[in-house]
Formats: sequence, structure tokens, C-alpha cells
Amino acid sequence: MRQQYAVRSLFLVFCFALVGLGIIAQMIRIQNSEQASVFLSQGDLYAGEFRTFYPERGEIYDRNGHLLAGNRTVYEVGVSLSDVRDPESVAYILGTYLGLTYEEVFNKITNSPETWQYVVIQDYVEAGIAASLQELIQQMEGVDDYRLDGIAFKPHYQRSYPENSLASNVLGFVTRDGRGYFGIEEKYNDLLAGNPVQVWVPSDPNKASDIPRVPNGTTLVLTINRDLQSRVESILDNALFEYGAVNGTIIVMNPRNGEILAMATTPRMDLNNYGNYFSLYDDGSQYNRSIGTAYEPGSVIKILTMAAALDTGTVTPQTTYVDTGSIQVGGITIRNWNRDSWGQQDMTGCLQHSLNVCMAWISTQMGPQAFYGYMERFGLGHRTGVDLAGEAMGRLKTPGDSDWYNVDLGTNAFGQGVTVTPLQMLMAASAFANDGKMVTPHVLYSMLRDGHQYNVPSQYGGSPISSQTANTLSEMLAISLESEASGALLPGYRVAGKTGTAQIPTEYGYDPSSTNVSFIGWGPVDDPQFMVYIWLQQPTSSIWSSETAAPTFSKVAEQTVILLNIPPDNVRFALSSR
Amino acid sequence: MQVQATQIIHAYKQAPWRVQRQYVGAFLLCVIVGSMIAALYLTVTARAAVTGREIQELRIEITSIQRANADLETQLADLTSTAVMQQRALQLGYRPVQPGELEYLAVPGFVAPEPGILLDAQDVASFERIIPVEYTQSLIEWLDERIRFGGMR
Repeated sequence: MRQQYAVRSLFLVFCFALVGLGIIAQMIRIQNSEQASVFLSQGDLYAGEFRTFYPERGEIYDRNGHLLAGNRTVYEVGVSLSDVRDPESVAYILGTYLGLTYEEVFNKITNSPETWQYVVIQDYVEAGIAASLQELIQQMEGVDDYRLDGIAFKPHYQRSYPENSLASNVLGFVTRDGRGYFGIEEKYNDLLAGNPVQVWVPSDPNKASDIPRVPNGTTLVLTINRDLQSRVESILDNALFEYGAVNGTIIVMNPRNGEILAMATTPRMDLNNYGNYFSLYDDGSQYNRSIGTAYEPGSVIKILTMAAALDTGTVTPQTTYVDTGSIQVGGITIRNWNRDSWGQQDMTGCLQHSLNVCMAWISTQMGPQAFYGYMERFGLGHRTGVDLAGEAMGRLKTPGDSDWYNVDLGTNAFGQGVTVTPLQMLMAASAFANDGKMVTPHVLYSMLRDGHQYNVPSQYGGSPISSQTANTLSEMLAISLESEASGALLPGYRVAGKTGTAQIPTEYGYDPSSTNVSFIGWGPVDDPQFMVYIWLQQPTSSIWSSETAAPTFSKVAEQTVILLNIPPDNVRFALSSR
Repeated sequence: MQVQATQIIHAYKQAPWRVQRQYVGAFLLCVIVGSMIAALYLTVTARAAVTGREIQELRIEITSIQRANADLETQLADLTSTAVMQQRALQLGYRPVQPGELEYLAVPGFVAPEPGILLDAQDVASFERIIPVEYTQSLIEWLDERIRFGGMR
């Protein structure tokens, strides 16, 4: 009897084991079948999603912490098609709030491809409009009215420029695809934009894992002084109006370290409406003429010629030259700006009266090798290396170039036949205000990322002249301004500078009726703390720099000393002598 | 007498009901231990799920706060922009200072301020891992850690 039960028990065990084995075998078969991959992929669809996390674009501040470029939230408004209950109501409300037609929205909702789950109605919707829409939806849901179900909002950042057009030529702008154009936005686009991170985000909260931290883009602090920039832009606009100039540029730089404190050009663009770009500029070089447009600067280049001659010992300040009103160089007659002869002049007089003939004599005395050697050391024909996108190189023809002629040695000495950008001239002249050492101009003061600040060190661009030459030339220029009671003078401060009036080259030679007027100056002479470059294009009230650019320099210098807290010379000497 | 007593003890020890009770006891012990482990596992898993959901919500909140912060910064910059401040200053009766109106004072020991760190630098290193391990490790990992480190981490 007991054995009979044992057999039955064994039979049952065998049956259960068989069923169990069958189940296991079936599980293995299903998991390894062709359909398994389909099931798995279907499951994966709901297991989570790959999501790209875009970092917030780095902000841009001026040197005193004023925000110049930030970010603000805008919304992508769309419709989750499977959640829509009443397409007519959704289309009507979205059309009304977003400024679209009812038909447009309704067609998007009802005529989308069947595979689509979501359709974008409008992107970059202002936060205020999105908030009003969300409030309306909430109010309706509060009274169990779900006709607007399906409307979805996806927030994201948009670049915002609180100062609108201020320093627009320095900042550049960011388009909707997140790419920076011009200025700082283009030059430091990779740093500002940061690195997007794509991660798998599981739907299962059990699998919640650390999402890798997406560091924001690097925040940049510029050397620009917002208040000075604003004043300089205002002075430039007034100068264009007062002198009837077409366009203009003013740069203020610290000649000791190359920090650009203000850089104003025209036209400027409201960066929040960068769509106006094509109506304002014919090409990219016009966006920031300080660095993008090279021109024949005229007599301001005489300071480089004189510095080279002093440094080589070709002349001293006391060297005299009898100006007869013309000189032959390379078979071509060169004359003074007023075609007069100025008689015996020392070198300060040559600068003071801006004598072309004297300068041509100096360059021929130096010889082409020495003259062009110095011009190259001053950086002419080379980019300054400023950290702004779109810098032009200018052109310095040298012996050996197919388009260089002997007369160029004479004309280049007073700024004809050579093109430079305003910033190139500023960099070259920084040697005079900095004991013979040129500084590399820069706009970036520091970078902030992950709680660390990295200050950008100043860089020097070589020492084309000796300290003694620099000081001598500064003194000569200060005396020449004082002797002629220049409009560039600033009461209470001793400044050095040079005017430049240049005829504009055309296909048919130089245009006698219009000029480019320039002025380069710095101060205080004994301890230079600012250097200013002015360029006004084709002024109509007067074609002379002394009557247009020079007084503009005085106005800029006046605002600069106020905003940079530079006391008048007598106060400074009194304070330092205590 | 002693032999008889020994036989009784042997008989008692080997009684079929006693052997069965031992099996039942062992089985029940296994069931209880298994149930306890299952209950513990379920508790931990449920807590991890709830915490995971909270983490997801917190992440959304952090993003939302970051956006609000960026918006407020930009809004503040709009309100203090050069044009707005100039307009407000003029409305309040101020005018640009003229060079002759400035008075300079010597302040012993004063050093003109250099541009400093403009933002309150966030020490992000301390936030790099925001989820404690208790919320991510499995029960087996937790047991392994307890066995190896004796409850001390």
C-alpha cells in the first residue's frame, strides 16, 4: 500500500518537474526567438529616453559687473496630439494668443502625419504670453473644462541683451540656432556655449541615477567700462551729427596693459533684433570698423615715422630741416598738405605743422630697410591679435612687393599708400605711452567657470623703440599740441597726440573733396592712463582733423578722466608729493 | 531500569511526529526568513522608487529655479541699464558732472578697487554627487557593505 502511494508520488513529482522544465524551456525559447528583440525594443520605447541637456550660455559682464549679455526664458508652444479633446477650441485659443490664424493652427493639429505625437505650433513665445495661456488653461481645468487639453509648453533659453545696442560691435550676437556671430559672441562661442550632454533618462524611478552635471557656459568679464562706453557712443553720435560724417569709430584703451575700455562704432545694432543686420551692414567688415575696416590713416602715421627716425638716430628733436614745400622721391614730387613751404623747422615743428615733405625726407634718410623694418615692428600689415572676431590685417607694401614703388617710401611716411585699422594704430602707438613696449589690445578681462576665476594676463607685442625714444616723442607731441593751441587739449591735463587728415583713394586717384579724419592721443603725458583713437569718415562741416577729430578727442578725454577718476595733473602732483 | 529509560528517550527522539515537526519547523523558519527578506526588499525598493520620483521632481524644480534666476538677472539688468538709469537720474534732477566740479581727496591707505570676482562663486564640487548611495545601491550591495565594513562607512 505504502509502495503504491510512493509510485503515485513519484509520478506526480515527475509530472510537475516536466511542467516546470517545459515552462523554463518555453521562457528560454521566447527570450531567444526573433520576436524577442521586437518585444524588447517595444519595451525600451517606454523605458526612458535619450535627453540632451543644453547648458545655459555663459553671461557677459562689463568690468564693473553690469550684465551686457544674459539669458531669458522663452517657450516652445506645441500640442500633444493624443491628448487633444477639442481641436477647434485649442486652435482658436492658440491662434488668438500667438497671433496666428485659426486655420493655420487647426491644420497643424488635424493634418499632422499619423505617426506624430506632438506638433510645434510656435517657438520663442514670450514668457508673458505663455504665462497667460497657462493661467487660462488652469482656470478652465478648475471648472472641469478640459477643452484645452493637449497644449504643451517647453521652456528654453534665449539670448538677451539688456543694453540693447550698447557695445553691439564688441559683443556680437547669438542667433536662434545658438551660434555666436561677430565680436565676443563669435570669438568665444565654444566657451560661452558650453558642452551639451546627452544622457539616457529612465522612466523607472527605481533606476533614477545621477544625471551628469551639465556645467553652464563660461561667464566672461570684459575690460569694457559700460558707463564710458555709453558716453563715448554718445560723443561719437554727436560728432557724426555735428561734423556731418558718414561713420565713425572711437576706441579708448589703457596703454599700460592693452585693456580696451570703450570701443564705439557706427552703425550700431539692437542686439535683441539682430534681424536688422542686413539692413545696416553691406558686409561683415562694417560690423566693427575699429578692427574690421582698414583705411589710409594719413598723418597720424607720422608719429611712427618720427619714432623710427629718433630711435635709429637719424634725427633728434633739434634736427632742423629746411622745408621748400616739395621733395622728389622715386621721381615723383611730394608736397605739403597746403602746398606751402614752411622754411626751417625742427622735428617738433615738422610734427606740429604735419609736414609731408619733412616726413618723406626723414624716411628717405632712413632708407627703405630701416623704415619698413620699424613699420613691421610696429605691427603694420599684421593683425593685432585682439580677441574679437573679424579682424582685418591692413596692408603695408614693402620693397620686393610687385606693387611697391620707390615713391612709396616717401608717401608711406605720412600715411598714404598704407592701410591700417584703428586698433592697429592704437597698438603701435601704445609703445609711446608705455616706455617703448607695445601692448596687445584685448577685451576679455577674466573668465568664470565652476566657481573659479581666471584673469587674462596682459601681453606685450614687442618693443619696437627704446624707452627714451618713447618719452622723447611723447614730449614732442605734447609740445606741438600746446604750441598750436590744439582743440584736442584738455584743461588741467597734459596730453600728447597727433591729427591725421587723409584724402580717400579711388579708382581715379585721391578724391580731393572728401577726407578721413583721425586723431590719436594719450594722457597724462607723465603717466599715461588712457589712449584714444578717433576716426570720422568724410566729415562735411570741415575736412580737417584739427577741426573735427581733435575736439572730439578732447571730449572723450574729458569723460575718460572723470569716469576713471584721474585727477588733474596739479592735484596728482600735489597728492603724490605728500 | 536505566536501559529502559534510555529506550524510552530513543523512542521519543525518533517518534515520527517529532521528526515531522522538525521538518515543519525548518520549513517555517525558511518561509519566515524568506518573507522577512522579501518584506525588507520591498520596503527598500518602494522607498527607492519614491525617492527616485522625488529626485526627478527636484531636478525639474532646480531647472525651473535656474531659469527663474536667469530671468530675474536679465530683468534686473534691464531695469538698471545705462539708458534707464540715465533717464531716472535726469528725472530725479541729477545732471552729468563737469570737470571743474570734481574735488579729489587723498585717503591714506586707499587702493583703487580692481574688478573682482563678479559672481558669488558656487562651489559646484560639493554638489557633484547629490544622490546618497542609500538611494541607489541594491539590497545585496547594502548587505555586502554592512558585512565588509560592519555598519561603519
